[in-house]
Amino acid sequence: MIDGVTSMELLGLWISIFFTFSILSFLYEDNPVYKLGEHVFMGIGIGLGTVEAWYGVFKPKMVDRLLEESHYWSFVPVLLLILLFMKLSPKLADWARIPIAFVVAAFAGVKLTGEANGRLVAQVAASMPDLPALYEKHGWWNWEADGAGVISGLVLVLGLCACLLHFYFSAPHNKPMRAISRVGVLTLMLSFGASFGFTVMGRISLAIGRAEDLLGFSQPPGNITVLGTEMTRMSGMRWMTILTLLGFIAALAAWKRSGGGHQEPPAQATGE
Amino acid sequence: MLKALVRFQSMDRRWVFLGMAFSIVIPMLMPWSCSFQVDRPVRALYEQVDALEAGDTVFVSADFDPASRPELEPFYRANLHHLFQKDVNVVMGTLWPTAPPLVLPIFEEIAESYGKEYGEDWAFLGYTEGRELAIKSIGASVRKSFPKDSRGNNTAELPIMAGLDGASDFDMIISVSAGFPGTQAYVLQIQGQYNLNMISACTAVSAPDYIAYFDAGQLTGLSGGMPGSAQYESLVFADGPPEGARLMATPNMNVLNLGHLYIILLIIMGNIAYFITRAAGVES
Repeated sequence: MIDGVTSMELLGLWISIFFTFSILSFLYEDNPVYKLGEHVFMGIGIGLGTVEAWYGVFKPKMVDRLLEESHYWSFVPVLLLILLFMKLSPKLADWARIPIAFVVAAFAGVKLTGEANGRLVAQVAASMPDLPALYEKHGWWNWEADGAGVISGLVLVLGLCACLLHFYFSAPHNKPMRAISRVGVLTLMLSFGASFGFTVMGRISLAIGRAEDLLGFSQPPGNITVLGTEMTRMSGMRWMTILTLLGFIAALAAWKRSGGGHQEPPAQATGE
Repeated sequence: MLKALVRFQSMDRRWVFLGMAFSIVIPMLMPWSCSFQVDRPVRALYEQVDALEAGDTVFVSADFDPASRPELEPFYRANLHHLFQKDVNVVMGTLWPTAPPLVLPIFEEIAESYGKEYGEDWAFLGYTEGRELAIKSIGASVRKSFPKDSRGNNTAELPIMAGLDGASDFDMIISVSAGFPGTQAYVLQIQGQYNLNMISACTAVSAPDYIAYFDAGQLTGLSGGMPGSAQYESLVFADGPPEGARLMATPNMNVLNLGHLYIILLIIMGNIAYFITRAAGVES
């Protein structure tokens, strides 16, 4: 079936097809082949992450510095790492508080400064547009600039204020407040709709990517030998996809016939 | 009619998936041309990269994995072509452990196609752990964040790094981001602090959040999802892709359109069925 030169490559292509279908088979129903794909994916992801962490972090930043550069300060993270593992012993578990306190404090500091710097100051400033400058640049509404202009600026300011007032609970929500609150809800709904639309677009894009691979569009030019027949890589990929898909359908049908999948819940005991 | 509408509402979800599969596969096998416009954030991104001069150096943070490949790989490839066409030096690192096996072969392939020298014109610094702390560290010193490159050389000794250390020493920061850690963390942690000229390509899911950064001037250009990549391709490869390269996102715009039409149709039909059956007092 497999040509000597391309055997490993062909196997790699078939594995990608197999695991794509194994994960997609969940759309039909949870099944053993899906579970296999899920576990293999998890295992490879963790393995790859561990190797990358060793060669990308531990080795160059700790081991090499300690052993090759005699940079003894690098022993501090090693010590913190050892202390973290004290959690495994109930007697010594308190020692693990030191590295945990270090991590919590460091992240709290980093998060706080980041939020204050990048989000609070810059975003609050951007939510107060300079309307005369906006008018000078774009007029009331500029189709060429995706609708930028004074109207968009006003929609931004009024929508933002309405959203904030919707979540202001220290004043009674009387008639005017309810009207403002309604505008706030509508603004939020528009933003949720936009987010949902973008999410759908992202998911379809991912499906397109897998379909491209399965149909061989991502294959470079050249020939491949499948079942003793030489053909273009794209055709070879398509044949492998069709055969694997048929195999999956047959396997799922056999699994269902053998009683796999959802079973009727057992009849409840009558409690005699 | 009423019965059919009730049955439609309780339709097995697997038919919906099958319909989506057909709406993706059919336009791929029978493609048609699809025109689209270039949005303001993508044009701004293109203009920013195009304004770079030969000999400038950019830092690319390639923070994506195989799951987001269809959305970001087209941009990533087009962007590298754009940078190397302009003789811009490229230093790349990543904050995602699953990124190097995906991004490095493409980087090597495109750099070699332009005859670029490793260490002189381009360098891959590999992966670094630490998420936001790593970004903070990149802001202060790229050399210390990535002490060695992916080939085991000392980063500080690479010719491309001469005179460069902190993020602000680079002429531009390019974040190709599929989530966290990525563009948002860069903007929050170091963009404002060092006043960086930063552009981003992100997944469609992240685009609504990052548009606010573009409007605020924190990002000087933004490409969102596959349409952003297609628009950027149309600008970079206006005269067609170079030999050995191909358009990746542009041919899929018609597939994306049909997929969206299918979802819109289902939403409209579902709502019509719901309101008609509710008005008739029938429960689905």
